Amino acid sequence: MPQVKTGAPHAVPAMQPTEADIALLRTAQSAELTVRDLYNAALAAGSFPDAQLSVLELFRDHHTAYAQSLNGLLSKSAASTRSESMYSSYLAQVQSANTSLLALQTLENILVATYIDIVGSLVSLNGANLAASILIVEAGHAAVFGSAPTFNITSALNDDAVSLITTDTVEG
Amino acid sequence: MTTPEINQPKFLRISRRELLRVGGIGLLSTSLLAACGKQKGVIADKAIASIGTVPSTTALVEAEITDAVLLRTAASLEYNVIDAYSKSLDAGYFTGDYAIAEIAVKRFRDIHQANATAINSLVVGLGGKAHRCANTRINSLYIEPAFALIAAEGNPDVALDSVTLAHTLENLAAQMYQGLVSLLSEPKLRGDAIRIGQSNARHAVILSQILNPGLSGVGPSNDPTTGTANLVAIPSTYGSLANLRVSFGPANQDGVKTMITMETPSLNALAYDFVTC
Repeated sequence: MPQVKTGAPHAVPAMQPTEADIALLRTAQSAELTVRDLYNAALAAGSFPDAQLSVLELFRDHHTAYAQSLNGLLSKSAASTRSESMYSSYLAQVQSANTSLLALQTLENILVATYIDIVGSLVSLNGANLAASILIVEAGHAAVFGSAPTFNITSALNDDAVSLITTDTVEG
Repeated sequence: MTTPEINQPKFLRISRRELLRVGGIGLLSTSLLAACGKQKGVIADKAIASIGTVPSTTALVEAEITDAVLLRTAASLEYNVIDAYSKSLDAGYFTGDYAIAEIAVKRFRDIHQANATAINSLVVGLGGKAHRCANTRINSLYIEPAFALIAAEGNPDVALDSVTLAHTLENLAAQMYQGLVSLLSEPKLRGDAIRIGQSNARHAVILSQILNPGLSGVGPSNDPTTGTANLVAIPSTYGSLANLRVSFGPANQDGVKTMITMETPSLNALAYDFVTC
């Protein structure tokens, strides 16, 4: 390819979250706090071998870090509580030895779908970049549940999940 | 010991020797300026005296980085992955412990084909021209050298290296889409890009589980002998945009394989409007 010099750059997008962005990012932060608490509930149920325990603790710590990062971005507008309706919907599933891994995989896929909607709506670049860097890893979490301890490509690739973002959230 | 001049102003206390020296410097400066200036009766010539012929210069191509160009580049990288997978599959590189990679890679190749089509639809929607071939710079810098090392005589790790290359390409693609989020101007396009990026991240996890299976291959860990980081499914808390360093081919006399550093397409690897297949 030839050497090039670049022409006029793009219009510079906003870096800091707008009011509508804040509503979207608060939804994400609340979801992260909920999933963190659901991982804690799964771990407290104590039905995992050590190797699995360390993976679940790692993922739980990631969600804690994501909630904290969003907290930093949102500052005074940050969400401080989990979604009680989401928590109660999944609590029994994550506490059961038979369904916990599948439930946690579903939760990861819900977060991925939610962040995709958020990235596709956010005006602010700071928020979009953070959301993108989080969802790439959460997609990896979901794929891990599909590939370890049982290797199942179809399960690992399955990203069907309903986003938590509704039309109301997008419109702020 | 005092002299009558001591109370006079300083400029009146200048000696005759100093007067001659200052006058000489002034005269020299005036002559120099006169020599450099325009001279009466001499026609000004803009050319600098030179011997031989001066080659003509080629102006750089004007190129604008638009959303369409960025997405054309994404499509080109999709074709890099498709071509690399086809090459590995045609050569029968996925064997032995890594035979299962053949099933995964065939499936991923179809997904990348669908991704390329989807990305090109976006390009056309933006008024751009679809880009339906691999990025030549990514090929020449990374993929061809990697294949040369994989196919090198005496390489005992053909299958391992082939899966490693696939894993690296999936990570490269995921990184590219993550990076596009900060470059694309339209939020909707950012969402479309990262939707594809997350599927590439899943591919990378699956291939990492083929290379380093089981739950011990999920979180960050180090090789106890060398201290280097192991290849794992989830190496970091956030999606990394750092370059990827991967080793391929037969080891040298010191037991070290050749390392290739790969990074996502940058300014001179973008599929600008004037780049054709």
